[in-house]
Amino acid sequence: MFRLLKGFGVTLKFFGSKKFTILYPDEKVEMPERFRGIHRFFPDKCIVCNMCVNACPTDVITLTGKPHPDNPKKKVIDTYNIDFQGCILCDFCTEVCPTAAIVMTARYDNLSSYDRANHFKDIDWLSSNEVYGNYTIEEEVDEDEAGEEK
Amino acid sequence: MELMPMVLYAGVLLQLILAGVAAAILFERKVIGYMQLRTGPNRHGPWGILQTVADVLKLLIKEDIIPHAADRKVFVLAPIIAFVPSFAILATVSWSENLYAADLNIGVLYFIGLSSVTTLGVLMGGWSSNNKYALLGSMRGVAQMISYEIPLVLSIVGVVILVGSLNLRDIVFFQESIGLWLFIPQFLGFVVYMISAIAELNRSPFDLPEAESELVSGYHTEYSGFRMAFFMLAEYVYAIAISALATTIFFGGWLGPDFLPGEFWFLLKMCFFMFVWFWLRATLPRARVDHLMNFGWKVLIPLALLNIVITSIIKVWMG
Amino acid sequence: MTTHTEEMTLNMGPQHPSTHGVFRLKVTVRGETITSAEPIIGYLHRGSEKLAEGLAYSQFIPYTDRLDYMNAMTNNYIYCASVEELMGLEIPERAEYLRILTMELNRVASHLLWWGTFMLDMGAISPFLYAFRDRDHILDRLNEISGARMTFNYMRIGGVKWDAPEGWIDRVKETVELIRENIHDYDTLVTGNEIFQARSKGVGYISKENAVNWGLSGPALRASGVKFDIRKDEPYSIYDRFDFDIPTREEGDVFARYKVRIAEIYESLKIVEQACEQIPDEGEIIHKKGKRLMMIKPPEGEVYKRAEASKGEIGVYLVSNKKKEPYRVKLRRPSFVNVEILEELLIGQPIANLVAIFGSLDVVLGEVDA
Repeated sequence: MFRLLKGFGVTLKFFGSKKFTILYPDEKVEMPERFRGIHRFFPDKCIVCNMCVNACPTDVITLTGKPHPDNPKKKVIDTYNIDFQGCILCDFCTEVCPTAAIVMTARYDNLSSYDRANHFKDIDWLSSNEVYGNYTIEEEVDEDEAGEEK
Repeated sequence: MELMPMVLYAGVLLQLILAGVAAAILFERKVIGYMQLRTGPNRHGPWGILQTVADVLKLLIKEDIIPHAADRKVFVLAPIIAFVPSFAILATVSWSENLYAADLNIGVLYFIGLSSVTTLGVLMGGWSSNNKYALLGSMRGVAQMISYEIPLVLSIVGVVILVGSLNLRDIVFFQESIGLWLFIPQFLGFVVYMISAIAELNRSPFDLPEAESELVSGYHTEYSGFRMAFFMLAEYVYAIAISALATTIFFGGWLGPDFLPGEFWFLLKMCFFMFVWFWLRATLPRARVDHLMNFGWKVLIPLALLNIVITSIIKVWMG
Repeated sequence: MTTHTEEMTLNMGPQHPSTHGVFRLKVTVRGETITSAEPIIGYLHRGSEKLAEGLAYSQFIPYTDRLDYMNAMTNNYIYCASVEELMGLEIPERAEYLRILTMELNRVASHLLWWGTFMLDMGAISPFLYAFRDRDHILDRLNEISGARMTFNYMRIGGVKWDAPEGWIDRVKETVELIRENIHDYDTLVTGNEIFQARSKGVGYISKENAVNWGLSGPALRASGVKFDIRKDEPYSIYDRFDFDIPTREEGDVFARYKVRIAEIYESLKIVEQACEQIPDEGEIIHKKGKRLMMIKPPEGEVYKRAEASKGEIGVYLVSNKKKEPYRVKLRRPSFVNVEILEELLIGQPIANLVAIFGSLDVVLGEVDA
């Protein structure tokens, strides 16, 4: 009959012990570096190989290229869009990318909005998504400056 | 008391009780939160103090929905019938030696008798909603509250025999005179009272009428806005009343060391009871209807009767 | 005046607090006693099997995450393993250990979540929060290695995606210790509780024959006294290298299923500890054929591969016709099979037992509807 009373001891023990809550908007969970969050795009690195478009299981990536101004055989990226309504953050696009032009950051929030159109992120938004993640940037300072000039 | 002070007292008490209910809900959420390794409400005001206020405001400004198929008159009346008795019984509660509304000779009887009217509100609410979950919930609620009223009353009878009075104030004075709180000589009665009080209040682990995982929300499934607030209010005022009764008859009412006023000790003891109920809610799973009924009729009532027999023998033997 | 009683049709779900998703149960009740019950499924149907036919072999892996989203690692594994068997790939040693580690950790997380939600069905609110706290420790570990907390997408055909980060194995060992301690507390809180025992003992009885006839698998089968666990009886991956028991109970009721699952958590923790000791310090983590994600073309043929998920036997039947996409993928989802017995179990029970019985089967709707 009295094994039930032991349970009260357990809850009372927890009553005084350390709390586990994270006060979300004020403090955020530090995600590990590998966390598959929202993408970041480096337009300079992209060679318009279309691999990410093929690998995407939900077909949410669309891109177009234009001829390179100096070397007409090469291509540079013109538009690059991810439709986050359908994106399942599976990481295949970054896995197949030969130049690590599309990478994933540890950013995990602030994609909600009242309008579906807002989920359609273009090249500017994706390249300015400067959050840490499982990637390294060479000459970080220069790139940031370049981004501002644009 | 005269009429005017009486009305004034009732008005002030109502305000205080509303504040008390707000505090009790916050207290409950904090206690349960702490037991579950959470911090409980913390966004509104410092330490989440204004959380209940915000909740009540939200309920008050919500659209008042009455289901199309509901029995309108009964539906509207039910929350009021559930709330009024729970407030009316507070009249007999003597918060300290001098602070009370009515010095009734049949205080205990009035308290218990009037509080059972709440059952009617539950039944009306469940029936008139025209919702199957609400119906099942109210059926359970009525069955449970009526069956547990019997051990509740019987457990108090022991005290009444000892004291020889139904007056709640006399019970406290008796405890003062023998210098002993009655839960010690009446321990069996106290245990029975506590268990059946939980069932009376529809609190966990006996919260079957609103068993969330089975019946969605029980008898007030269809209620929203301020009608829902009324039901919640009734529930918490009733919880306060029952702990006030327990304090009065088993824990010596306002008695306590002299350096603080009697009201303080009374409130402190009530808080203890409230804490126990919240603690129960954080710990125990819900009982099942048939187990609950079996337990009430086959265990609690015989125990309460046994308590009466023992008390009577002692009373006669002691002279 | 004559009186009569009527049966009442009660429609539980698809929106109901204790249906664990969008599951609908049409029950007729006489008073509080159930006279008939009809589970209606399909509210979460996404056509996974058909989707697979239009996707490259690797591309289907994230979809398997979303079947039983509480136990995604095993789903990942069984799909990858079936393709590997078709291709005849040899998996690197370290990858096998990483797979075992993540799968068993995930099984513990799944059982913990079940424990929490089941107790919530029973009306106890605290266990839910405690279970989530411990589950979070495991999810943190899985997050560190795979980059996601629920939809891991960690396994690849021919191995795993990432090697364990630095210090991961040690952190796993710490987590195992922590959870083992905490589960002791939970035992004290719940298992001994008389109210809980009264509600679960003798309720929802499934006999040995019945369990086999309905094709139950996993803890629901083992609680009826059938000692069948694919990890032991048909060892896949490298399960034959570990020393662990298959907990079984003879009673076949809700309480037995509860006890089996709690015992399984301990067994899984044992496997994790052994794997932590045995894992080679370094090595390849993926077969070279698997590295080219989009270029996987298994030879023509078909294969059925099964594994022990936390809910029961999960199986993949795969037909290849030497194209980039599979010709047919059939998924045997344990929850889908287990939920079928519900109809028979519920008849004659009071409504209060409904949630207990349904909860004890441990059904995930993402898996039922696929």
